[in-house]
Amino acid sequence: MTNGHPLIQVKNLDLYFGAFHALKNVSVDFHAGELVGLVGDNGAGKTTLIRVLCGMHTPTSGEVYFDGQRVEKFHPKLAIDQGIETIQQSVGLCDNLSIARNFYLGREPVRRILGIPFLDFTTMRDKSTRVIRQFGLRDNVSADDEVERLSGGERQSVKIGRAVEFRNRVVIMDEPTNHLSVREREHVNELAVQLKKQGLLVIYITHDIFQVHKLADRIVIMENGEKIEDASTSKMTAEQLEEVIRQGGRVVERREALS
Amino acid sequence: MSLAAIKPVVRRHAEIGILLIAVALVAFFSATSDGRWANAYNFATILQVTATLGLMTLGVALVIGTGEIDISVGSTFGMGALVYLWLASRIDPSAAALAAVAVGAAIGLLNGLLVTRTGTPSLIITLGTLMIFRGIAIALTEGFSFSIPYAARKGWSFEILGGGEFLGFNTALYWLILILVVLTVVLTAMPFGNRLLAVGGSAASAHSRGIRVGRIKLSAFVICGALAAFAGTLEAGKLGFADGSMGRLMELQAIASCVLGGCLLAGGRVSLIGALLGAFVLSSIQSYLVVVGVAPQWFLLFLGIIVVLAAYGDQSLRQWALKK
Repeated sequence: MTNGHPLIQVKNLDLYFGAFHALKNVSVDFHAGELVGLVGDNGAGKTTLIRVLCGMHTPTSGEVYFDGQRVEKFHPKLAIDQGIETIQQSVGLCDNLSIARNFYLGREPVRRILGIPFLDFTTMRDKSTRVIRQFGLRDNVSADDEVERLSGGERQSVKIGRAVEFRNRVVIMDEPTNHLSVREREHVNELAVQLKKQGLLVIYITHDIFQVHKLADRIVIMENGEKIEDASTSKMTAEQLEEVIRQGGRVVERREALS
Repeated sequence: MSLAAIKPVVRRHAEIGILLIAVALVAFFSATSDGRWANAYNFATILQVTATLGLMTLGVALVIGTGEIDISVGSTFGMGALVYLWLASRIDPSAAALAAVAVGAAIGLLNGLLVTRTGTPSLIITLGTLMIFRGIAIALTEGFSFSIPYAARKGWSFEILGGGEFLGFNTALYWLILILVVLTVVLTAMPFGNRLLAVGGSAASAHSRGIRVGRIKLSAFVICGALAAFAGTLEAGKLGFADGSMGRLMELQAIASCVLGGCLLAGGRVSLIGALLGAFVLSSIQSYLVVVGVAPQWFLLFLGIIVVLAAYGDQSLRQWALKK
């Protein structure tokens, strides 16, 4: 499963925001057909790392390779065109637009009349409604309703639905089960596994090591902008990994010194 | 229909407030001016003023829709008028108009590049270009005015560019209707419009979905500059002359029209028809003050008071509509 060259390879990545060193010499590989849990406390650098992968941040130094090709320019458009779909926590939805308009933002289906592109409202409405309903959109909410009227869970369902609809090669999920009910949470987790089985790379960011340990093939732990652990879930239990998170880099250093 | 049933309509249609204000003012002006305000000739005049202010307003509405602002449009309007007048007596008016629009688009491009490339607030950038191009307009005219000789004020291309009438209305009005329809379609039914509103609603979210935020803002500034200069062209076509002060303070009227019409200054919500109603209301108030004989020195004062009252009324209505 993890044979062959990595789909995404991050080498010695550093990122500064002004004087703040947000990512410190991070190197990590991600393979197609793999579900990787990216875990760590708040401020560990998880979201910053995936924002580099999805083109929102440009690293200060270091290299990122996608499918063996070095990434020269970072922009969400380029990442999306490469097939990297991201469900982010704080961004991704424009409150002033309808569900359907948000769903297709940036890749609106069009009907051309005399070569002029017009939005294909029927497709936008029907498809977005059908996909999002699976993830907990109320029956009385229509695709024409503005996103600002949705609950936290429903907002999340729009983002998840969109990632599923446009999945290509990579799906990055940043705390995807936040605001979701127990049943919806299970649905999202099943979906992550299903996407992996279809050969996609799934990067799943969470605080909950026990939850992601059940799903993931590998866990990457970050702390203070550094990668402090990268272990297969078959080699380390959730409790052991939790200990790493609790103790931080010290436990890894101790283990390395012993070996 | 109960009041509660109207709430969702008011919430969805930002222009309802200005529509009610327009209806109330038209009724009030008609009732209190003894036929001097409500007559065909005066309406045609109001609509002509609305047409040029409205074209400028449509462009400003697009920029406001992206969460930016363009206050240089008054000067761009003046530049458009001067370029058109200077060229129209030398080349065909249609070519002169194209040149004027190109100058406006170039000013918009300059504004847009400065805003998107430097990250400086658009209020400051366009305040600067407002002064720069007003300065150029005054310097170019050297205190005199540019004009088209009476002998040259004829021909179809001169007439369709604000210099003539069709069915009793200045041709500028038809341009306004045409451009309103085109921009409404672009804004509501084309990908560009979807992206423009997304940028205004949340630039970070739009960016995360792969939208080139800078390009969208740049396009809005270019369209805005082009429309302001075209409005100046049509005004120059109607008057046949212009000096360096042409379009002065119009930028404030255009912004007021947008806000009255339901465009959110923070971006993301645009009502083009509402903005035009705003322009109509402002033109109507001016016309009313003229016909009832308010001394010109009191103009701005009265205009300001009415604008503040109208804005307050609109705001109250919207807050009521948003309450559960």
